[in-house]
Amino acid sequence: AADSCTKILKYRCSGCISVGNPLNSRNFSKLLRACPYQCDRHKVIVEAEDRYKSELRKSFICNKKILLTPCRRQQLSSKSAIPGEINEHI
Amino acid sequence: MFQGQRGWFCGSVGQDLRQFWMAEGGTVSDWRAADFLFSSDASHPDTLRIYHSLDYIEDNATVFHAYYLSAVANAEIKNSVALGHFILPPASLQKEIRRKIGGFIWEQDQHFQTEKNEEV
Ligand SMILES: [Zn+2]
Repeated sequence: AADSCTKILKYRCSGCISVGNPLNSRNFSKLLRACPYQCDRHKVIVEAEDRYKSELRKSFICNKKILLTPCRRQQLSSKSAIPGEINEHI
Repeated sequence: MFQGQRGWFCGSVGQDLRQFWMAEGGTVSDWRAADFLFSSDASHPDTLRIYHSLDYIEDNATVFHAYYLSAVANAEIKNSVALGHFILPPASLQKEIRRKIGGFIWEQDQHFQTEKNEEV
């Protein structure tokens, strides 16, 4: 049963279509994501990778915040070090 | 078949597959410039660097198992091999994916798997 299923899906799932398709590492994820007929295999892989990516995204944002904090502080202190600057802008 | 394509190879990929890539007209490049990213081991540090990159998070970098190249090499019609069947997901996801789909295409030819056969 699974075999006949993949046969039908084979011709619809972008991830499974190969011939004459300029697929590569750069466009594959987007192409697969945009495909409304993902086969079971690709659906499972995309879902798992999505979860992995969102975890990473979270940790990326955290890292950025940590990196940004001292910069902001520096900016603020340099601003306050120039008297009259804020008034000029108003 | 790979004329004009730039490929990046993880240190885990065998020399014979790199040579096949070049014999088919592909060039080897830095991973950021590469059109194709090939690895034979998702937990190799070279490949991990890609999984941790912004390119990967933003869907701009899919890693493919280098077994794709040997499948192409062995295929009657070279461009009949579906690249999409050779996605190599991060190692931490493989167990779960394997449970759901019953194994990866690149695991099915066991004789081709070099060295790391005794993985759980
Ligand atoms: Zn598919």
